Amino acid sequence: MKLIYTDCLVVGAGLAGLRVAIAAKERGHDTLVLSLIPAKRSHSAAAQGGMQASLGNTVKGLGDNEDVHFQDTVKGSDWGCDQTVARMFAHCAPKAVREMSHWGVPWTRVTKGPREVVVNAERITINEAEAAHGLINARDFGGTKKWRTCYTADGTGHSLLYAVDNKAISMGIPVHERVEALHIIHDGERCHGVVARCLITGELRAYIAKATTIATGGYGRIYEVSTNAIICEGIGQALALDTGVATLGNMEAVQFHPTAIVPVGILTTEGCRGDGGLLRDKDGYRFMPDYEPEKKELASRDVVSRRMTEHMRKGKGVDSPYGPHLWLDITLLGRKHIETNLREVKEICENFLGIDPAKDWIPVRPTQHYSMGGIRTTPTGESPQLKGMFAVGEAACWDMHGFNRLGGNSLAETVVGGMIIGKYVADFCDNNDLVLDTGLAQGFVDKARAEIDALIDGEGRENAWQLKAAMQKVMMDYVGIFRNGPELDEAVRQLKSLLERAANLGVTCKKRHANPELVEALRVRRMLKVALTVACGAAARTESRGAHAREDFPQRNDKDWLCRTLASWPDPKALEPRLSYEPLDVMQMELPPGYRGYGADNAIAHPDTARREAEIADILAKLGDNASREARQQALMPFELPESLRPANERLSDRLHGGVSGKTQLTNDNAPASNTAGDDNS
Amino acid sequence: MSGRILTFNIFRYDPQEPGDKPKMVQYQLAETSGMTVFIALNRLRQEQDPSLQFDFVCRAGICGSCAMVINGFPTLACRTLTAKYPKGEITLMPLPGFELIGDLSVNTGKFMRELAERLQLWLHPKGGDMDIHRLEDPMAPEEAAKLYELERCVECGVCVSACATKQMRDTFVGAVGMMKIARFELDSRDGRSADDFYHVIGNQDGVFGCMTLLGCQDNCPKDLPHMQQIAYLRRKMASTLL
Amino acid sequence: MAGKLDIRRWSGVLDVGQSLSGVVLALFLWTHLLLVSSILLGPEAMSWVARNMELAFLSDDGHGYPWVVSLIAIGVGLLAAFHVLVALHKLPLSLRQQKALKSQMQVINHSDTRLWSWQAGTGIVILLLLPVHLWLVGSAPETIGPVGSAQRIWGEYGYLIYLPLLLTVELHAAIGLYRVALKWGAARDLNTRARLRTIKTVLSVLFVGIGLAALLAFLPHTPA
Repeated sequence: MKLIYTDCLVVGAGLAGLRVAIAAKERGHDTLVLSLIPAKRSHSAAAQGGMQASLGNTVKGLGDNEDVHFQDTVKGSDWGCDQTVARMFAHCAPKAVREMSHWGVPWTRVTKGPREVVVNAERITINEAEAAHGLINARDFGGTKKWRTCYTADGTGHSLLYAVDNKAISMGIPVHERVEALHIIHDGERCHGVVARCLITGELRAYIAKATTIATGGYGRIYEVSTNAIICEGIGQALALDTGVATLGNMEAVQFHPTAIVPVGILTTEGCRGDGGLLRDKDGYRFMPDYEPEKKELASRDVVSRRMTEHMRKGKGVDSPYGPHLWLDITLLGRKHIETNLREVKEICENFLGIDPAKDWIPVRPTQHYSMGGIRTTPTGESPQLKGMFAVGEAACWDMHGFNRLGGNSLAETVVGGMIIGKYVADFCDNNDLVLDTGLAQGFVDKARAEIDALIDGEGRENAWQLKAAMQKVMMDYVGIFRNGPELDEAVRQLKSLLERAANLGVTCKKRHANPELVEALRVRRMLKVALTVACGAAARTESRGAHAREDFPQRNDKDWLCRTLASWPDPKALEPRLSYEPLDVMQMELPPGYRGYGADNAIAHPDTARREAEIADILAKLGDNASREARQQALMPFELPESLRPANERLSDRLHGGVSGKTQLTNDNAPASNTAGDDNS
Repeated sequence: MSGRILTFNIFRYDPQEPGDKPKMVQYQLAETSGMTVFIALNRLRQEQDPSLQFDFVCRAGICGSCAMVINGFPTLACRTLTAKYPKGEITLMPLPGFELIGDLSVNTGKFMRELAERLQLWLHPKGGDMDIHRLEDPMAPEEAAKLYELERCVECGVCVSACATKQMRDTFVGAVGMMKIARFELDSRDGRSADDFYHVIGNQDGVFGCMTLLGCQDNCPKDLPHMQQIAYLRRKMASTLL
Repeated sequence: MAGKLDIRRWSGVLDVGQSLSGVVLALFLWTHLLLVSSILLGPEAMSWVARNMELAFLSDDGHGYPWVVSLIAIGVGLLAAFHVLVALHKLPLSLRQQKALKSQMQVINHSDTRLWSWQAGTGIVILLLLPVHLWLVGSAPETIGPVGSAQRIWGEYGYLIYLPLLLTVELHAAIGLYRVALKWGAARDLNTRARLRTIKTVLSVLFVGIGLAALLAFLPHTPA
């Protein structure tokens, strides 16, 4: 058995994983990253549009601050998120953007003076301040009150990933490429590392570490069509499930992005609509204002995706051999804008559709895009069940997204979450010893070897690719944008039968080194369990919240369902996960559940909501009118952060008005508790 | 173009398999509309030969994993439509100049990491105010736009494989190395001087070893301005001679 | 930075030197060809050119100094030798390099790389033929003229040298200038580059044409 020791082991070399690795290395811990692929190929690179941070440099972001970002995030989550985490996140996002600038990201900058932009299908001129010239710019994204999404043209993820990986290289952090983790080494209470297989040589290795961080991204590829890279197969979530003790949170919360191209499902960024692009139906008619008169195309993603699906169900979709679709029209933005700020979109249109988006409309349809669910962690990023196991980024349910993620908040989560959790991981490495139990490690290596032996030498006849395709079709057909009881039950039934068949998997290619079929067979069993947590969670949750939309239970039900679904798989032979629920405490919330601002306000209220609202009014009244927004926030919902991340964020408005306190008159209308009814639109 | 039968000639060799020899193997596949080489290769693997090795990640022309030589031209396989080939014959070879993992899979990741370490391809900040809690330093909007233009490289390795100079001289940094140096040279936040860069690329392994064959320029899937940037660096480095 | 010409900077100096020597040689070549092709305007024209090249206008007897031609031949020879030396180390010298280059060119279809292989090949032919040419004229400068040259070309089988030399040198020079232009950034965009490539081809064809015509024009002057 090959043993490799380190202090801080990170599985996954995307933005979140690398950021954690850097944080641990900065504190002097030996750090090692495992990755299926070279780090710079990670799916983080595909994030085009940008990351949200309340810098407030552009005139359309004036008055933005952590409070507004926090409120947008909580409302976007349909009150499903952990508000403490959303606060930690909103506070650190501006720091992360600025840090990335020091690491080399060429953020698109504000140009002083008049600038023509497209808002609501009209060209308007905005005037950028002289003092803002050269500061980091932001664009508009769905579900946000302010223009807050910082970007580099439409290659933000690419620029961020390259800057962060370059930083990791400069620090000498090794990345073991083409290595796949198969098991977490644990004793039921503490995590000690992973067993991983080299995809080139087939060698099995035990990586032993003080802290193990899972940063393997989402599980989009359990669906047939997804905007995700083909490596986003939920293997990190499966690793956690495999322990039998760790839990996954809110796996049924799956986001569908409104504008992926048809048929291949490649994403066109939300920036297309943020910059002024429109959605049109088969008659060329702009239909979104009919459904969402206020936010139109820039409502939250889950809302736009559902409205598009509704509209297509009314027969307004454009027929194609691949089913109906709608049009995304960015022609009105002009060729120059498209060729500079939406270049990747243009390339994708040219290469995969053979069209020129400056002239032609783009065929789009809502497509699986993001996994809000993932490995459940505490606000410090650690698994509540397995000490020493951390999770970060899309792989985790740190839970700042709840049941719907805002555009621009995922890229932000990778570097912000990585920054915060990285410090907690480093703390953990400071305070804990490396535990070396070779017998335990050998046990997990043997388990992996036995599985491989059985696939190669066994009698199994089931084909991995066929099982995977069947699973993906079930998820597409029955666990999509709109869900209902009978279909979800059918999905669970079919997935269980596939999982049973997966016991009989075999491979025809008998190589023990590089063997794509073996890789597929090892993954498909794991993916099936992940798919079952999604389907079972969705079947059990009899309400609609964020991206989880039940036709048979259309109301958000705070009374019965203001809770987080937890899934674990204690019995490896079982065909279903064990579900349990973790309530969200309204009495601790800074922003009690309210109206999100879309459609009818038909939520079933939680009994505590009114009580908490009264309590908040009371607390704020006691503080008086002169209290700073920070003081008000602290009084309502204090939150922890590593000390180095606690200082206030300076903004341009602070410099212009003097002082770093952030006490500006601009923010009065965005005070923490002045939430709820219909102020989602500005 | 659907309904055709495509013929694929694919390079096969597993260096880890004792006794295996490099060979070309022919496969046939019915074309479907909108088929890319990505779709075709996956179908070949699922339906005809499960041992076939190749690399795809984003399948959207973003990550740079899938570069290979298609009918004589190195390019990204994921965004190459089979309809582009009227004869229906498609020959696939691994990128030359990289360590072969097997069949069409080459180790570009290892190459790029070593190059980055050797040329120190990361921002070397000038220092100054690095406080992440305070307002950021301004940067000219035009500079930011220009930096992004050069930063669009996806490290696919096409420029390296298309460069005859690189094939002859192992230590040559190739267009990818020079493009990245040009990107940092242009960045006002980077503290390195022209002299510092000269030490890295002002030699036979850098701009003065480049013969301007422009395989990089002509094959780059991101249409990066290799020709102009390498010429710019060469002038810049030559001017330090005076 | 002046005066800091340490050994590391040699590669820069050599690269600049290769470009410069190439440009000078190409310009000399075309001037030389145009002068020789004065035969197309008649033997008198050529005699006048030959006389003036020997600086006849400076000598009292009007015969000039034929050793001037020898000097030019020596100068060109030295410049060419320098050009060869700096260019040579960019060619595939070892077997390993030749194999790598060959297999890459078999796999990858790229026209500018093929152009370069032509340039390298013609360079080697020139390396063999140019010294012969330089020796022939340099050692007997006084014979240059309609009759003497015709005798050398057609009477003494010089065309066996001159024909291949003409073809290779014109290809080599035009491709070389095209590459030098690109190398130092004369083409800001790809359209300019396409134009330069067309100009390169036109130059090659034009000068090969003129050269062939001139060679043929000497034929009638060959002594019986």
